[in-house]
Amino acid sequence: MASSGKFASLMRSYGRLTIFLIPIGVAVNFVGGQIALLLKLPIYLDSIGTILVGAICGGLPGALVGLLSNAINSITSPPTFGFAILNIAFGLLAGYFGRLGFFRVWWKALLTSIPFAFIGGFFGALITIWIFGGLAVGGGAIVVGALTAMGMDLSTANFVAQIPMDILDKVPTVLIVYLIIKGIPKRLLVKLPLGWVYLGKPNPRAARPAEASAPIA
Amino acid sequence: MSVAPLNTIADGYRRVASLGNPILDLSPITLLLSIILVIVVAVVGSGWVAPVVVSVVFVGIAYLAGRGTRYLVNILKLWLVVGLLLFVLRALLVKGETVLIPLGPIAVTAEGVDEGLRFSTMVMAICGGVTLFFALVPMRHLTLALERLGVSPRASFVVLASFQSITDLGATARVVLDAQKARGIETEGNVFVRAKAFFPILAPVFLTALAATEERAIALDARAFNSRGPKTSLIQLRPTPAWEWIIVAVCALVAATAIYGGVVGWL
Amino acid sequence: MALATLRDVRFTYENADQPALNGVTLELEPGLVHGIIGLNASGKTTLCGLLRGLIPHFHSGELTGEVVVLGKSLLDWDPAELSRTIGCVFDNPFTQISGIRDTVFEEIGFGLENLGVPREQIIDRVSAVIEELGIAAIAEKNPNELSGGQRQKVAFASIIAMDADVMIIDEPTSQLDPEASEAVFEIIAQLKARGKSIVLVEHKIDLLAEFADTITVLYEGVVARTGPTRDVLGEPGLEAFGVRPPEVSEFAWRLAAAGKPLPFFPVTRAEAARAVSQRIEEVSRGDRTA
Repeated sequence: MASSGKFASLMRSYGRLTIFLIPIGVAVNFVGGQIALLLKLPIYLDSIGTILVGAICGGLPGALVGLLSNAINSITSPPTFGFAILNIAFGLLAGYFGRLGFFRVWWKALLTSIPFAFIGGFFGALITIWIFGGLAVGGGAIVVGALTAMGMDLSTANFVAQIPMDILDKVPTVLIVYLIIKGIPKRLLVKLPLGWVYLGKPNPRAARPAEASAPIA
Repeated sequence: MSVAPLNTIADGYRRVASLGNPILDLSPITLLLSIILVIVVAVVGSGWVAPVVVSVVFVGIAYLAGRGTRYLVNILKLWLVVGLLLFVLRALLVKGETVLIPLGPIAVTAEGVDEGLRFSTMVMAICGGVTLFFALVPMRHLTLALERLGVSPRASFVVLASFQSITDLGATARVVLDAQKARGIETEGNVFVRAKAFFPILAPVFLTALAATEERAIALDARAFNSRGPKTSLIQLRPTPAWEWIIVAVCALVAATAIYGGVVGWL
Repeated sequence: MALATLRDVRFTYENADQPALNGVTLELEPGLVHGIIGLNASGKTTLCGLLRGLIPHFHSGELTGEVVVLGKSLLDWDPAELSRTIGCVFDNPFTQISGIRDTVFEEIGFGLENLGVPREQIIDRVSAVIEELGIAAIAEKNPNELSGGQRQKVAFASIIAMDADVMIIDEPTSQLDPEASEAVFEIIAQLKARGKSIVLVEHKIDLLAEFADTITVLYEGVVARTGPTRDVLGEPGLEAFGVRPPEVSEFAWRLAAAGKPLPFFPVTRAEAARAVSQRIEEVSRGDRTA
């Protein structure tokens, strides 16, 4: 029975709200990107949903948001799919940092932008080099092209173009995630898998060590 | 616009779902496999002829399915935005010996042109296949076909709800944007002023969606969404006839030949 | 078997300072429309959540007291089964549409699909409900493009199609315009005629007076008044609980206070019209002086 399958049981273990938050996370990615375009900002801001859901629901839901957003974008721009692993990584990392409480304090949230930007920038450049021979699509490719024309080695050009771009994108992203989480009412935090982190409570799963180590009768 | 009487609508569900065209009625799974196999033909080998032929074949299939014009428009856009850039950058920057057009520090080389043609047409053939698939298969039918294969209905929920949420939250964003503008939030000016407007627009969009999510979870629970038994479906997809699998087999044969040809050096 | 029995029920939401329900004792009979009224935060929605089994499974918190629903203690109910047995309609038309079905017909059938009902039956039941509620004109439309009033009708249709015997309806007209509200109340009247047990939370006291068999007034988490509609509305002092009595009842009291009581106490406009014309007749027959 499909509803007792692995995906269904997995979703159930995340509480009742998570499965409804994944589509919201996907939508936030898209709407964030659209608002950034509307306000003519020079950054993408299209991973806010991924990191937000990762931080409040856990790594796996966050990764799903990233994967799904990437897949939906790939329908209209198939080369995007090459970078799916990055979005998945963002979600997983966000869950990891969320669980450790990094999004409770603004400067700790800021710190997370470093690994995020590293993954986005460094591994983004690597993927561009491996899959697209260093010359992919979009404005970034034009920058890389210009740098290469000026004599820079192709691979280096990719890193030089990607990493600062990603730092510029991820720093506001994590701060926005931090601020949004601060705005979540307590009664909803209680219903989120990682809500206990932001309510300052102990990990409900770690609170039962006696059961875990109880001898089997 | 006249409304169909209720009986007609009800009868529609008694019949197998049909989009009125033999290609559109192909099972999403066999269509997917066939397209993938045809893409293989474009990818193996080393020239640009095979990918172009494959791209044209895709356009042909789109026209046979009655979706030709829209497909053509979309794919031409992709050729312009993606394909052209891939080609031009390679033509200009790939270092080669046979210089065709010198342009100061860089030059258009024959090797660059070759590689540009090869890479861009190959990527465009893949894009063509992907775009074709989603032009022919409605998302709803795709999720139904996957559920028939055992994928959890919750997974299809997440996929379908994502599309709808993108629309819904987009609409909310527009309302919030207007509301915030009326409150005096500036959306014009230098980049810092505009950047400050971002959070006051996005945050309410998310927070109202989050509050609504709780209600939605309860409402769907009342619709037995959380029930664990087997589910049925109003829409019934056509059971896949044998001849569709023959099509897949033919495509596999063509793909195998292409791989051989690529290895041996024809393509 | 009573529809629901609550004895000294207290419930505090997790992270809340005050209890939402502070000693509620209530008995509801089946087959009737039970009106629930009270100020915001008086416990109405919490009460609904309790009857539905959302408390304590979905909303965590501290629950004490005895709750028996349809003969079984609340905690003995399997949550999925309870949510199947009791249909619910809420106030927000925008959160009750699944969002994943392309036509109203399919949307109404969604609950039945989840229950694994065979396709033929789904088609029959959905068609019947669409006819009953008169929404055949929108049967093929995309539910996501409907107005609030239309969505609320579809929400009702979806729950009615699941044919639960008990329905909890929580402020169904609060976000609708008067015309759409009328339509919703017609639906509730039809349900009442079919003998469903209904718990109806509403602010519009006039409508409750019209349709409810019993009224329960909640105030600060306790039951302030409960009983047959006429008795509850007939007793003066409702304003203390933040509930304005129906207009016609106030009118009747004023008359009584002026020493000219009506022949019987009206709670609806129809009754008031009858009482007044009866009184006018009495006067013109000379039975009473004006």
